[in-house]
Amino acid sequence: MSAQTNMRPYWLSAPALLLYVGMFLIPMVMTLLLSFYSYDMTAGVVPGFSLANYAEVLGDSYFHKIFLRTLWMSVLVTFFCVLLGAPEAYILHRMSSPWKSICMLAILGPLLVSVVVRTLGWAILIGSKGIINETLMAIGIIDTPIKLMFTTTGVVIALIHVLIPFMVLSVWASLQKLDPKVESAGESLGASPFTVMRRIVIPQIMPGILSGSMIVFALTASAFATPSILGGRRLKVVATTVYDEFLGTLNWPLGAAIAVLLLVANILIITSYNKFIERKYAQAFK
Amino acid sequence: MSFLRLDGLVKKFGDFTAVERIDLDVEKGEFISLLGPSGCGKTTTLQMIAGFVDPTEGRIFINDVDVTRVKPSKRNLGIVFQSYALFHHMTVADNVAFGLEMRNIPKQERDERVRETLELVHLDQFSHRYPRELSGGQQQRVALARALVIRPEVLLLDEPLSALDAKIREDMQIELRAIQRKLGTTTILVTHDQSEAMAMSDRIAVMHEGRLAQVDRPYEAYERPSDSFVTKFLGKSNMFDGTGKGSSDGLGAIDVAGVEFLVRDVDIENGALVHVSVRPEKIRLIEAGKGRIDGTVTAQIFLGDQWVFQIETSLGAFDVVTQNTGGHQVGEGTTVGLDWSPEEVRVLARAVAK
Ligand SMILES: Nc1ncnc2c1ncn2[C@@H]1O[C@H](COP(=O)(O)OP(=O)(O)OP(=O)(O)O)[C@@H](O)[C@H]1O
Ligand SMILES: [Mg+2]
Repeated sequence: MSAQTNMRPYWLSAPALLLYVGMFLIPMVMTLLLSFYSYDMTAGVVPGFSLANYAEVLGDSYFHKIFLRTLWMSVLVTFFCVLLGAPEAYILHRMSSPWKSICMLAILGPLLVSVVVRTLGWAILIGSKGIINETLMAIGIIDTPIKLMFTTTGVVIALIHVLIPFMVLSVWASLQKLDPKVESAGESLGASPFTVMRRIVIPQIMPGILSGSMIVFALTASAFATPSILGGRRLKVVATTVYDEFLGTLNWPLGAAIAVLLLVANILIITSYNKFIERKYAQAFK
Repeated sequence: MSFLRLDGLVKKFGDFTAVERIDLDVEKGEFISLLGPSGCGKTTTLQMIAGFVDPTEGRIFINDVDVTRVKPSKRNLGIVFQSYALFHHMTVADNVAFGLEMRNIPKQERDERVRETLELVHLDQFSHRYPRELSGGQQQRVALARALVIRPEVLLLDEPLSALDAKIREDMQIELRAIQRKLGTTTILVTHDQSEAMAMSDRIAVMHEGRLAQVDRPYEAYERPSDSFVTKFLGKSNMFDGTGKGSSDGLGAIDVAGVEFLVRDVDIENGALVHVSVRPEKIRLIEAGKGRIDGTVTAQIFLGDQWVFQIETSLGAFDVVTQNTGGHQVGEGTTVGLDWSPEEVRVLARAVAK
């Protein structure tokens, strides 16, 4: 009888576990193995064990540039998502009921639309014959179109738009846990609204900002659709490079090595950032 | 002139009037309770004093200065919220120091005042803990210390004890009162608990549907309620509708469904529509036939220090409370006589139903 009850949790988690092993763990392990194989122009993928692929990526300035560009974009996108998303969530939190739901829908709505469609929308907006440039030129603010297509700026702007709902959602969740009276308490003690924000609200919603930025950072670092549509061939990021290695050059082992390096870098950056913030705002996490 | 003055305060939320019209004068050092049932506008009134809600009409004076349009951060009031609203990311000491920091008080004096105040609320051992590591009663004290350390003009308390359980609540009532006496801080307490209001306040302001029904010392308000609402809200009462029968020799007479109630020192017009009320503890149980009315005991509850009886009479049910002085047993189903003296009968004008 007791043995039976003890087994139940395992049975219940079995489907999820199977899915996790089948869909995530096995491909991951296979990618890792693949990254140690070598590639030959004529023979294709040759099984074996060598670190040559890693040496190639780590030693080549071409790949350095791609990794640095990806890192820089991820930092920028995360930074602006915090800068725009956190206040957005706060304003949303303070709104009264009918508007609150309407604005919430407006913010979350884009999540219901495919990334590709949203990115194409941005292409229409920011292209040199796009709406933004046409309008600005028509009004006479600029003479030549601002170059946004195929630039880091353009990709970053589009990624911010794509990823900001995640930031808003996670900050919103931690705002829900905040007693609305703490702001009144701060004010009654003589703090200005700005001080209340800086000393009382922000430290307490730090967990939300942290989890939001981790999601945004990881998603930017591995983003594929937006950089490939708006960045094109010239503005390569890590994910599009992996894609090109797999489908263009057909050098699967090299692509796998890049993918593994991206994963490792992502994990390292996110965990150290997590540690840093948690130490700085230790009490907000309890 | 009084220290805190509310002059014709009105608050409307759209069409809904939450506070109808409040005039209140509070002396310096006085402890006043705003007492009333849920939704009568207590919190709204307190929030207007604090500055978080703008009055629709009326003005607020503190120390003769009109503060009606002054920002909450500039009013120098100490507020204790029902939820405590502590800063969970700061230690107890930092919570208390926050208000002093905002006033740019030098570190040394700040530390000294924080220490003093924490000592006052018996939390000096806990200054380095975080709020989450404290019990409800201790968190309550932090909130109090945080409000007191800035030496506020007025201390505002919104149901500060309602989240505590009965025993701690009683201890805190006594302690809060002692601290308030010691510091002499003018205090306004919002509560819907009449025993809490009576235990702590110099005066009680009973609120009813956005208005002040009566403002008086606890004993006066209990013994001489101004209307039937206050009578019922401040403890139990046996209340009946009656008609005046005139008065003679300092005794008024009122007829309640054939039973005559005599009242001391009240002039009653013949035919006046009134309520008469007698508090349960003012009624004595005696032998049947010898009292003013007879009744049958339908329920008898023992509370340790007292007995509570429900007695069915020709006028309806009476509540009677007697002290447990030992010995006496009445027993359910027995017929008893109810007696009271004319001094204990209260007469209140009866609003005629329109
Ligand atoms: N922001 C608001 N908008 C609309 N109505 C409100 C608002 N705040 C309060 N009210 C209404 O005003 C009335 C008085 O509210 P208030 O909070 O002052 O009551 P209270 O006496 O403190 O009650 P309780 O004992 O339940 O706390 C209530 O009917 C409430 O619904
Ligand atoms: Mg209230």
